[in-house]
Amino acid sequence: MSWSARITRVPAGATRPITSESELIARVGAKDLQAFEKLYRLYQPRLARFLANLLHRPQLVEEVLDDTMMVVWQTADRFRGSSKLSTWIFAIAYRKALKARSRWPDPLPDDGLEVQVSNDPGPDVELSHQRLSEALRKAMTGLSPEHRAVVDLTYFHGMGYREIAEIVGCPIDTVKTRMFHARRRLKQALPGELSDWL
Amino acid sequence: MQDHIHSAQRPHHEAEELLPWYAAGQLNPPERLVVEEHLSSCADCREQLTFERRLIQEFRSLEPQVEAGWARLRSRIEPPPRRREARKGSAPASRLIKHPAVAALAAAQFAFLIFGAGMLLWLSRPTYHALGSTSPAPTADVIVMFRADATVEDVKSSLRAANASIVDGPTAADAYLLHVPRQQRNQALARLRADDDVQMAEPIDGAVQ
Repeated sequence: MSWSARITRVPAGATRPITSESELIARVGAKDLQAFEKLYRLYQPRLARFLANLLHRPQLVEEVLDDTMMVVWQTADRFRGSSKLSTWIFAIAYRKALKARSRWPDPLPDDGLEVQVSNDPGPDVELSHQRLSEALRKAMTGLSPEHRAVVDLTYFHGMGYREIAEIVGCPIDTVKTRMFHARRRLKQALPGELSDWL
Repeated sequence: MQDHIHSAQRPHHEAEELLPWYAAGQLNPPERLVVEEHLSSCADCREQLTFERRLIQEFRSLEPQVEAGWARLRSRIEPPPRRREARKGSAPASRLIKHPAVAALAAAQFAFLIFGAGMLLWLSRPTYHALGSTSPAPTADVIVMFRADATVEDVKSSLRAANASIVDGPTAADAYLLHVPRQQRNQALARLRADDDVQMAEPIDGAVQ
């Protein structure tokens, strides 16, 4: 479908309710600011979460999130629907995040996947939800950004490995391998025994 | 023997790899069947699955630590009027360029642009050097256009990666003239062309020494 055809079909500023993501992005492509605000509010929490896991600097998260959404705004008319909208947007965010990381590496060393095993009390102490969350956050910082991305897209965003492979631009087997190693590292990094978590 | 052990462990390994997506409900029916069949006979994987579900539960309860910034983003979309006028002109042009006839015209204009850039540099080269001057200004050997959505940081990062510096620009067509060390030029061009934020990078040696 050509850009001009889409413009004719979905005029900018149309007021009827938007019923699907494909219609939403078509309107954004036609430079409908209201539609873009809706898209932003739909994706901002998910992208913020995804980027916060990849980049450990809140200011950088904001910058990359804004840059990602600016690319969406400027190139939405070229989105042809060959992948899911979420895949397209997350792939932009992932590329921008890796690029930002090359300018501002993490303050904590995490490239070697070396995770500190916690000295916290063992199995006989009940782990509170808050402690578990904190332990998980810490454990995640021990992973490389490539591993963090796969873990977060699977566990939090509920995406399948095929979609993740498209987002991060690598083969499916690489996604599975990253996930396999990341889970192993997370298990090693969590305090207590595995049974404490079950 | 080793092959035998390896093939015996394969179903376990396959199922174990798929467990996170099984727990997240993201497998297709045949894959689900493979995992479920294996789970019925593997206590380790059943324990692992419980762990996966716990992780999902924990992950989904973690709050993002970033505030909404629609107002901030909107101010980037609606910049001061003068800038907006400039953008209005450039957006349709990028779409038009996909038309074959327009693309041919654009190619001709591009060739002229490179030639023009070269002439501009040649004419602006100083004809004399002050006594004691040992390092003349670097000459441009590459012309580059960045994507409209590239940020200043993106541009800096692209230039650093290619070990390039800006000699002149932006030109009327928003192109920049770069200097890269001669011996690294092919590498720099390859890097620039592979860069997401670079729309075009070409050598301009014919025009400028």
